[in-house]
Amino acid sequence: MGKISHWLKITCQDTSPLVSEMMDHNLPLGKRLRVWLHLAICKMCKNCQSQFLTMRSMARSLGEEDASPSSSALSMEAKEKIKRAMKSSS
Amino acid sequence: MQGPEPIDSDLWVEKYGDMMYRFALVRVKDQDAAEEVVQQTLVSALQAKNSFQGRSSEKSWLFGILKHKIMDHFRAAKKFQSYDLSTDDDADPFEKAFDKTRHWRIPVQNWNMDPEKAAQNRQLVDALSQCLDKLSEKYRKIFVMREVDGVSSEEICNEFNIQPTNLWVMLHRARNQLKRCLETQWFNK
Repeated sequence: MGKISHWLKITCQDTSPLVSEMMDHNLPLGKRLRVWLHLAICKMCKNCQSQFLTMRSMARSLGEEDASPSSSALSMEAKEKIKRAMKSSS
Repeated sequence: MQGPEPIDSDLWVEKYGDMMYRFALVRVKDQDAAEEVVQQTLVSALQAKNSFQGRSSEKSWLFGILKHKIMDHFRAAKKFQSYDLSTDDDADPFEKAFDKTRHWRIPVQNWNMDPEKAAQNRQLVDALSQCLDKLSEKYRKIFVMREVDGVSSEEICNEFNIQPTNLWVMLHRARNQLKRCLETQWFNK
């Protein structure tokens, strides 16, 4: 039982990078289980995971083709330059 | 049967130029580089117009080309900058956030925000964009590829010669830097 208890012990400092890593690939089963068990009892690490997932959702929104217009736009000069380049290439 | 509509190149610039520019700017950050990839995209699209058979929308087709041009831009930077982890890279800002027992010494906030709702909050997303601009160029590019465009870890590693364990370290550091920035710029304001 002592060995199992030792194997299950995983600290916040171990968990934080693993919470990030599991967003990028599948962790080996043992690590996955230990992270899952830690998240079940650690509110701080759970908050950390939630923050990373929230940022992911926001990042995806940032990158959408139809993202709401911000102030960024092509200048008149840039548009004319592009039009000229297109005409000279056709 | 009618063929595809004839292409008016000026109309493409007016109709899609700004949208494509904003799409590129999120990814390449530099305004000149964003203009350049939009120009390359529209020139390539015009040259390849006969290959557009109307199976997808014109916009989807153009954005497909744009995404390739952006990846080409990232690949070109490989010649001048290694994407793999180096000792010069920014460290984890939360390295010292743990006590002697290796548990959180500084409380981790609950943002109390549903991820979907966060994504719909324009001002919050703009705050993330500003925080992205504060990352190092390398971390920014890697984060954009992984989190904005959803490119797999495997593809990023293969394409940019990064060891997988190093990629995960860099992504963790980038996420922590962004988290800290968002808390300063938004959540704790």
